[in-house]
Formats: sequence, C-alpha cells, structure tokens
Amino acid sequence: MNKHFKKRQPASVRPLTTAFLILVLVASSINMAQAGRAEVKPAYALVNCRIFPVAQPVIEKGTIVIRDGLIEAVGPAGKIQIPEDAELIEASGLNAYPGLISAHTNLFLETKEQSQTATPEEYLEALSQPAEPKEFPWLQIVEKIKPKKQTVEAYHRAGITTVVVAPHEGIFQGQSVVLNLNSDQVSKMVLAQPWALHINFTTERGVYPSSPMGTLAFLRQKFYDTQHYSQHLQKYRQSPQFLKRPEYDPFLEALLPFVIDKKPIVFQCNNLEEIKRALKLIKEFKLNAVLTGCNEAWRVSQQLKSASIPLLVTLDFRPPASSVYAQQGQAIREKAEKELYPANASNLAKEKINFSLTSFGLNDTNFVKNLRAAIKAGLPADQALRALTIEPARTLGLDKQLGSLEPGKIANLILTKGELFDEKTSIVKVMVDGTLFTYEEKGQ
Amino acid sequence: MKIKNMKVNRIKPGLLKNKNQLVFLAALLGLTLLSIYSFPLPAAAQTEDRTEVVAIVGARIVPVTGPVIESGSILIKNGRIADLGANISIPSGAKVIEARGLVAYPGMIDSYSWLGLEEISGVRATVDNRETGRINPQVKAIEALRYDSMHIPIARANGIVAAVVAPSGGLISGQSTLVKLDGWTNREMVIKESLAMIIELPALRRGRGEFAGFRGQQPQVTTEKTLDELRQIFEKARMYEKRREAARKNILLPPPDFDEASHFLLPVVKGELPVIFSVHADKDILQTIKFVQEEKIKAIFYGVEQGFKVAKEIKEAGIPCIIGSLYSLPPVWEDGYDALFLNPVILNQAGVKISFSSSSASTAKDLPYHAAKAAAFGLKPEEALKAVTIYPAEIFGVDKLLGSLEPGKTASIVLADGDLLELGTKIQKVFIDGKEVSLENRYTELLKKFEQREADK
Amino acid sequence: MREKIKKTGLLLSLLVFFLSSASWLLAGGDLLIKNATILTVTGNTIPNGDVLVINGVIKQIGQNLTAPAGVRIIEANGRYLMPGIIDTHTHIALSGTNEGTDAVTPEVTMAEVVNADDTSIFTALSGGVTMVHTMHGSANVIGGTNVVLKLKWGKPSEELIVKEAYPTLKFALGENVKQSNRTLLPGRPQRYPATRMGANALIRSELMRAKDYMAAWDRYEQLKKSKNPPANLLPPRKDLRLETLADLLRGQLIARCHAYVAPEMIEFLNLSREFGFKIGAFEHAWEAYKITNELKAAGVGISVFIDSWAYKMEAAEGIAYNAAYCTQKGILVSINSDSGERIRRLFNEAGKAVKYGLTQDEALKLITINAAKQLGVDRLVGSIEVGKQADLALFSQHPMSAYTRCEMTIIEGDVYFDREALLKERAAASTKKGGLL
Repeated sequence: MNKHFKKRQPASVRPLTTAFLILVLVASSINMAQAGRAEVKPAYALVNCRIFPVAQPVIEKGTIVIRDGLIEAVGPAGKIQIPEDAELIEASGLNAYPGLISAHTNLFLETKEQSQTATPEEYLEALSQPAEPKEFPWLQIVEKIKPKKQTVEAYHRAGITTVVVAPHEGIFQGQSVVLNLNSDQVSKMVLAQPWALHINFTTERGVYPSSPMGTLAFLRQKFYDTQHYSQHLQKYRQSPQFLKRPEYDPFLEALLPFVIDKKPIVFQCNNLEEIKRALKLIKEFKLNAVLTGCNEAWRVSQQLKSASIPLLVTLDFRPPASSVYAQQGQAIREKAEKELYPANASNLAKEKINFSLTSFGLNDTNFVKNLRAAIKAGLPADQALRALTIEPARTLGLDKQLGSLEPGKIANLILTKGELFDEKTSIVKVMVDGTLFTYEEKGQ
Repeated sequence: MKIKNMKVNRIKPGLLKNKNQLVFLAALLGLTLLSIYSFPLPAAAQTEDRTEVVAIVGARIVPVTGPVIESGSILIKNGRIADLGANISIPSGAKVIEARGLVAYPGMIDSYSWLGLEEISGVRATVDNRETGRINPQVKAIEALRYDSMHIPIARANGIVAAVVAPSGGLISGQSTLVKLDGWTNREMVIKESLAMIIELPALRRGRGEFAGFRGQQPQVTTEKTLDELRQIFEKARMYEKRREAARKNILLPPPDFDEASHFLLPVVKGELPVIFSVHADKDILQTIKFVQEEKIKAIFYGVEQGFKVAKEIKEAGIPCIIGSLYSLPPVWEDGYDALFLNPVILNQAGVKISFSSSSASTAKDLPYHAAKAAAFGLKPEEALKAVTIYPAEIFGVDKLLGSLEPGKTASIVLADGDLLELGTKIQKVFIDGKEVSLENRYTELLKKFEQREADK
Repeated sequence: MREKIKKTGLLLSLLVFFLSSASWLLAGGDLLIKNATILTVTGNTIPNGDVLVINGVIKQIGQNLTAPAGVRIIEANGRYLMPGIIDTHTHIALSGTNEGTDAVTPEVTMAEVVNADDTSIFTALSGGVTMVHTMHGSANVIGGTNVVLKLKWGKPSEELIVKEAYPTLKFALGENVKQSNRTLLPGRPQRYPATRMGANALIRSELMRAKDYMAAWDRYEQLKKSKNPPANLLPPRKDLRLETLADLLRGQLIARCHAYVAPEMIEFLNLSREFGFKIGAFEHAWEAYKITNELKAAGVGISVFIDSWAYKMEAAEGIAYNAAYCTQKGILVSINSDSGERIRRLFNEAGKAVKYGLTQDEALKLITINAAKQLGVDRLVGSIEVGKQADLALFSQHPMSAYTRCEMTIIEGDVYFDREALLKERAAASTKKGGLL
C-alpha cells in the first residue's frame, strides 16, 4: 500500500513537472492582478511607515500587523511585536492611511445617459408609448452591479477602498449597498446590504409627478400612506376579526422598514432649496435621514447646524441650473465653479458642521483633482481625511469596522509616497480586506 | 399733372382733314394719357372727399421737422397738406374742424409689424406671416394681407397711419410691404407694394425648437455660415441673370431654367430692392455690415439688440436700424437689465438713424410706447417722436409723402388730446390722405354692445 | 465701455445679492426719503413731501422731517414715490410652474418650491414690483395652492413668504385645461376634461368626494370618542388631495380662477354658490365687461391684462376697455403681468388704463391698493400710510407716464434696487470717459 503513495516519479519527469508547476503559478499570479499585483497572505507586518490612524495622533515610525483581513495591532515601531509568520513589508518613506470611503457613487452600474437633447424621432417614439411612472423603492442595487477590474484599480489609485453603490433612477431610487473594493466578485465585496433607501428630488416625465412641487406632494403622500398601511397591518395582525384586510402594496411594503422602522433614508439634494425641502420632510415624518449631494450646503449652514443630520457632500463643483450663479451668463458660472463651490466644504468646516466627502458625480480623476481644490480653498487636510474615513464610516454604521487604523477593524489601508492630498503623491500599495494590491509607479 | 405732349406728327397727314379733328384727337389722347398717369400714383384712388377742402383750426401743431406752432391751422386740399401755420388763410367753403385743446401730429409709421397677417396668434388658420422652408424671396406680404383684420382699426385709432407688414421665418422670408392703414381692399392700402426683402440671421440665443411640447436644442448655425450661404445664393442669382441676358442677346444660347429664388432676388443683388436684415449680436452686425458692403446691396437692420456695442461701425456704414419690440428681456443678461432700452439711445446719439416697431399685430397700437420707453432711458423726446414719424419715412423712401406736417405731403394727421407718445393720451381724429378715418374698432364695438346691457335694464 | 456693461451688470447684481443678505450694510430698514411727490394712493398726493421709515415701517409722512443719526437719506428731488407695485398673478421665483399631468392636483404646494435664486426677482424689482402672488400654472382644472412673496432679492426663500396673505387655491378653465392647443400623440391621449362642461363636472365631482372625505373623518372622530368604539376602527387614509379641497370647503382657502370667457365665470360663480366656497378673483377674465352685474353682485374681483389679447380664441373678444369699464362698474380690478418680462413694465400697463377711461389716480390703484385688497394684505401694504410696511418705489416721472422709469425699489425700508448706484458702478468700471449716459 505504501508503495502506491510513496511512488516517486521517474527522474526524467521531475524537471518537466516543476517547469509546468512554475508556469501555472506564474499564469495564475498574472491572472490575479494586471498592473497591480494582488496577494493574499495570512499575515502581514508593515514596518517603518508613518501612520495616520485618524482616531489617534500620527505615529511617525510605526508598525501595522494584519491577520486574516483584520488589523491585529497598530503602534510605534518599538512597541509592536512582529509575528513570525507575518510577511514583512518595508514601508519606510511611505505614509499609511485608512482606505478612503466614498459613501455615494454609481459605480459598476450601466448608466444610460439621460439625454436631455433627444432627437425629435426618439421623442416621438417615447410619446407613442403611454407614460409609466418609474419608481423602484424595492430595488436592491446589489443585483444590478457588474464590477470591473479596471474600475476597481482606478479607484484604488484614487485611494478609495470602500464605496456605497447607490441606485440612480426615479424619485424612490432603491436601496444601496456598501462594497469593499477587494476584487471584482460581488459576493466577496459586500460589506452591508442593504444600506439605505435613496430618494432624489427629481420628477417623472409625462406622468404624475412631473414637477418639483408634485414630487414633494408625492413623497408626503407616500409617507402618510406607509404610516396608514403600517397601522392597518398592525391592527390586522392583532385582531383581524371584522376588519377589512389591508390590500397588499409592494410599494408601501418596501417603504415600511424605512418610514416606520427608521432604517436610514438618503435624500439627494441638488441645490440649497432641496436641502431645505428634505429637512422639512425629515422633521415632519421623524425619519432617520442622511443628505447627499449638498454642493450648496454652505448656503444653508445655519439650518444644517441645528438639524444635525449626517451629510455626504459631493466634490462636484458644477453650479446647479437653478442657482443664481448659473443664470447670469457663462463668466459668472465658471467663476462660481472655480472659486465659490470648491469652498463649500471649508465653509461647513468653519461652521463646525460634520460632513463626509464623496465622489458622487465624478470619476476617480476628477475626484482627486477636486479634493485637492477643496483643500486649496480652505478645507484643512486632516478634516478632509476624516471626511473620507471615520465620518462616512460612522454615517454608514460601520465605524466599528472601518474608518480608522485600529486593532480589530477591517484591514483597509493605503500606502502613499508623499502626503495623501499632495499633487505629486502616488499610491503604491492598497490593502482591502487584507488583500494587498501593489501599484508600481508607471513613470507618472 | 401735366399732359405730356403728344407726338402729333405721327398721325398721317391724310387723316387731318381740319384743325378741329386735330384738336379732338389731341384731347382724346390727352385724356387717355391722363388716365394712364393717374394709376401709378402712390396715393390710391379714394372715393370720398378727396377734393374737399378741410381746415383744422386752433390746434397746437407739431410738424416734427420744424418748430412747434402753439396755435395754428392746417389746410388740406386734394388729400395733401396745402398750407399750415399760425395764421393761414382758410378758403370759404372749407370744412372747418375745431381743434382747440388738441395737438396735431403727423401720423405714425410702424417699421415692422404683422398687421393683417395675424389675427389670433395661437390659431394657425389665422396666421399667415410665416411660410415654410428657408428660402422664400418669392412670397409677398401684400398678397396675404387681410385688410379687414381687427387689429388694423385698433392701431389706426392710436395714431398709426402706415405700417411695414413683413413676412417672417426661415432665412429669406419674403418681401415686405408698406401700407397705409386705410382702404377697402389690400390693394387700396399699398404705398410701396414691395418695400424690402426680409432676411433673418441667427438669433442671439440658441433657438429652442418646440414640437408637441418637445423642447430640443436645435443646432445653432452661425451667422458667419449663414452669410456664406447668402453669398452663394446671391452669386447664383447674378449668374442666372447673366445667362438670361446672354440668351436674350444670342438665340443660339439656351436660356437657363426658371430659378424662382434667383429671379426674385435679382432686384436685391442689383441694389434696387433693399434688404431688412434681422440681426442681433454685435459680432454678427459687424459681419453683416461687411457682407452688405461687399455685395453692394441696400440694407436696413432690424432687431440689433447689441447694436449699441458697434454703434460707430453702424454709423460709418450708414445703415439705418429698426429697433425691435422693447417688450422683451435683454437676450444676454450680462448686457444689463436696461440694455434693450439704452440700445436705441446709444445708436441715436452715435448718429445712426433709428426707428421703432411694434413687431406685432395684436399690440401694433403700442408703437408710440416703445419710443417713449427709450425716451424714459435717455432718448430726447423729439428724437423719439421722429423715430416713429420722419425717420421711418426717410428710411423707406416715402418722406415726400409722410413723416411730418409740411405743405405738399399727404394729409396723414393725428389730432390728440395730449402728447402723442403718452399712455393716457386719447386720439380724437385721424386723417389718412386727407380723409378722416373712423376710429371705431373691435374694442369700441364690443364695449358699446355691452354698455347696452345697462341701458336695457 | 460697451464690454464693461457686461461685467458691471453681472457684478452688480451679485453685489446686490450678497449685500442684501448682509443687511447691516444697507439702511437696515431705516430710511428718510426727502422732497418726493408722494402718491399715497388712498389719500391726497403730497407734493414735496418726506417719508420717514423706521424698522421697515412708515413712521411719519410730512414736510421737513428729520431722521435719527445714521439713517440713510434719499434725496428724491421731486421724483415720484409710490407704494411698491403688487403683481397678483405671476409664476416667478418658483422651481416649477405646472404639475401638468393629472387634471386635479390641489395637493401641490407652491410655497414649498420657492426659488429665491430666480433672476426674474431682480427683473421685477427693476420695474418697481415689491410683492407678487406667484402661482401654479393653468394646465389643470385644480392646480395647487399659491404663495405671496416679497421680492427680497438675496434673502433666503423662507424670508420671502408673506404669511399674512390669503391662502389661495388655483383653478383654471378653458383652453389650457382642455389642452385644445396641443398636438395629441398616441402615448399622450386626450385627458379628461376635453370640454368646458367636463371641467365643471370634474370640479363638482371632486368637491363631492372631498365632502365624503370630510364626512368619513367626522364619522371616525365620532366613533373614536364614543363610549364603546368598535374594535375594527381605523382612521381613514389621509389623502392630501382631498384634504386641500376640504380646506377650500371649510373656508380656509379661497379660489383664484383662471377664466376667460363670460360663461366660464358665470358657471364658476354658480359652483361657488353650490358648494359654499369663496372666490378671490378671476384671473385674466377677458370678458368680464360682459357680466359686470354678476361679478358685482357676487363681490368677486378680477386680475387682468390691459390689452395683451388675441393670442387664443378665448381671448378674441377681450377689449382694452375691460379693466377701466369694470372699475367704473364697481368691481375690484387689478392688473397683472403673468410674465417675467411684462412684470417690469406693469406700471406702463396700468398707465394705459387712463386712455380707456380712468384717471391717473384710479389707474395707480390697479397695481397697488386693489392688488393688496385681493391678496388680503391691504392692512400692510398697497398705499403710503403711517403704520404700513415701507414697500416703496421711486420713479423719475409720474408712474403712469410713458416717459417714466423706476429708479429705486424698497421693501420694508431696505433698498433692493438702486439705479443710481448701478450707474455709478458702471461708470467706475467703464474705461471710456463719460460712461453710458
């Protein structure tokens, strides 16, 4: 019997097998990452790096130990013991930050460009069909995402390791998901599913509600209907005799967790008036709400301060069409986009309003560019870092797992050559869920 | 009118049996010529009271081209102003119109309107001012002019005696006409049947086409491209004429096929028929000036919302400007909220000849208020008045007939109880070609009808 | 010079926008206007008079008044001071105009979509307008509730709303509602109502449903309070559409009805009697002159154009004498603009009424006190009287003259439009000597 197991290969075959095995290994490692090499090893120790834990002061020369995708230890070089089985990563001259979180994106979605300028033929075609309302409160956006490796890499290079993917059509847009950008396989990426219900102050076309005031009435009526539905359901559950059965309504069913059980609702506010309209609705129905978009938030800072609602502030500086800065000619619009809107975040910071920053409406390149512009316009760099790490983690309810470099948290971090928000800085390594991605400098 | 001398020697000597026959034939021919010559006269034949002598006495007279006469009279003979002054002799038998307390003005001229081409703007069946297609030099506004439009008596009742009626739309919209606001048919109204070709250059803002509520952005063609297109069209017309001429002279040459556009553009390229260019932005105005000079055509500008930016160039080019309706917002916010009002002021101060227009049918009667609006923003009141009287008359080459109160001109006179351009002024009488025209109109008819309801109680 | 107008125009409106939000920079509601021809509207005209404004309220009107230290003095030099113009029918300063889908949408609230960034506000100020009744459009039989705003350019939207005004509900009849001027396509079939009789039937049915709705709630309340409320008692579904109609029936809203032809108005008056709701005014009312008796008897006013007619069939029998004639018959008439362009020459439109039979003083009322009465704010604005809010406009000539222009517009003692300051800005920015004028 032993003979079978211990049968050795003839000597002539051994080099071939080895060569074959090497080939397979090389091929598979190429497969795993293209420009960035992704490795997953059980334990890592990043040594001699300058660490920005966010929750604690900066550690000039420190060590981070990661095991099984979680941070095991963080501290100054001398204080942390490096485990024997940890892969050593020399990080002197590099900075380590928690991976950035963009809490509002439309990543990995096939967005059909809502062309405002359809041709007459297309318009006629659309008019030949009866108009249907397009509302999706039940939509789980996680079912629609198609992650792409290139996009993951692009966002890594911008320093982003966690994103919220939100739906983008309709007034009741659907429910978002939080993803860790650790691969291109959805099941591996999901951090929280679902996160929130997303509502946008837009309108339907050709069917009610087709106007901003119609949308507000529509929202309010739906919220009232949800309350009534819940009341009816409860009563029916308690004592159904002699009581008319509540008619099943999928729309209202989808809203129950958010309107009644106070799961989070995100309102997309595209201008200052929509912020006020959202605040009014939130107060009236006592919703657990978050505001996103908010690129005119500085103009409503007093109300935001008293409302104390989590803000996801986009770095998209384009003045909305309704803005006074967009109605007085090209020159003023461009000036506002260059000087006024970039100062949004810094103005909020001056008012001591907490907020997160997002890449909503931008791609990875614009995000970095605009982030730098926001800092140049007065946003302190450390506040910018908090706005992309611990603040969004808190808003997402994931601050026990993300947002800072602390033991027990998920190993999402980025290693940079240079200060994070500087022009010349490049990101050399990204770790997501303990998977290490290396991005060689391509002679930038 | 003089009877031209007949070529008597054409009659064969044999026929002239005696002197009497000669005289008879001469008289016959003379009468024939008399009737021939009487037709082309600009003043259409009116049936009533043309030979009657009318005297307006005791009015404050504003001749426009001369000093104001505090109290004077105007003598009307054969439809013309025979005399006017502080102390003129009034022949016995003259119909005297007591005008104490009233002010006499020349009737106003609307430099761009849709009178007679549009009844209810929202009802397409009643709208005839816009032909389909881009190139329509062949269409003539006079041929669609609805002389019994309800808007004409309303405009007339506010002191407007003549108007340019213009087609619109496309690039070359057609031939406008100059009519007086009195006549039993459109032909009786004609002052100049074909006044000017209308050419519309691109607007300042991108046009928003509308189709069943669809608001798509139309791709904007630049003025530069449009003028290039016009150059080609004009060149085509010239070549067409050359070939026609050549074919006429040489029977062996086949004449070119009839080319409608070229045919009707010939008077334009020959410099005979002026063009009213609807042009708006400052750069476009400069390009159009260059175009006009290169093509050697007669031009008038209309709209010219940013004319104030290039007033000097317009003055040097000697091109008169018809100001578009001031019932509008400045097309470019950056020009300032009052840009539209200051525009005619600046043009006028720079020496450009301006006139005002209603650019409307249903609000054509508001012509004087556009002039007053410009006066509110700095235009001298005398200039404002001129811009609705003598200046349009000069621009359209009818200043021998209209535009001021002078002996020899047609008796197109307005008697008002105050300043002609003021909002509250009531017009008491309007004379067109010496005939006192009725001031009854749709408004007064309906009012009278329902005032009856009170009386019926 | 010409190019500089561009820059100064935009810079100045930005400047005004910002300055007005930093109210300490302006007079802060205190002004002394000296030597003006004061058109009080409700009293005699005061030649060479002074008006003292403290905290946005007219404190004193007289001759040779003095002001406390630090109060801005405006030298009128004989120019004409009138109450700020009130436009009773516009659609400016709103994020949308029409919820043009369902024919009955009373639940939409225009007060929720005020847009204080709308540059039409500045345009209106340049024409002496200080207050507007800005409304839902006329696409629907019942459109929505409207809002009255003061045009405080630069202030946040909530500060524009005039809470004291009558709450109004927009009704519309006629061609717009029938969509008869539209091209119909398969995906957009003809909406009910396609006729005027359908429109009235729709109003009747909706109001009857609202009555049922009110009864259902009454029943619920009764049962709830009873000794033994039934176990299966559930409140009725809160329906915002029917709630608003119920408010109309309860008298908490008044109707403002867009109607052109006489039969529409007669029948709407009948509807109001049938259901017991109040009508604030008829909008446009081109044929009001045909039914002055009925309007007078019902005590319903009109809000009209002077002579911008003949654009639709239903405006084909409108006459320019309408406003003047109805005024002479004792009907409360105001003139409106219904346009972001006409709003800046509303005073000219009123001036035309003199030609059609009114005096200058009567014409002036059409855009001041009459409008204020229709909106329910005549105790606050609409004339220059001690105790009223200092909403004022200064004109170079009599406002009813064609030669006049608005020089200054003041709301509650704050200057929101100042032509003199604007010209100074332009002159300063201009490189060529002499400036514009």
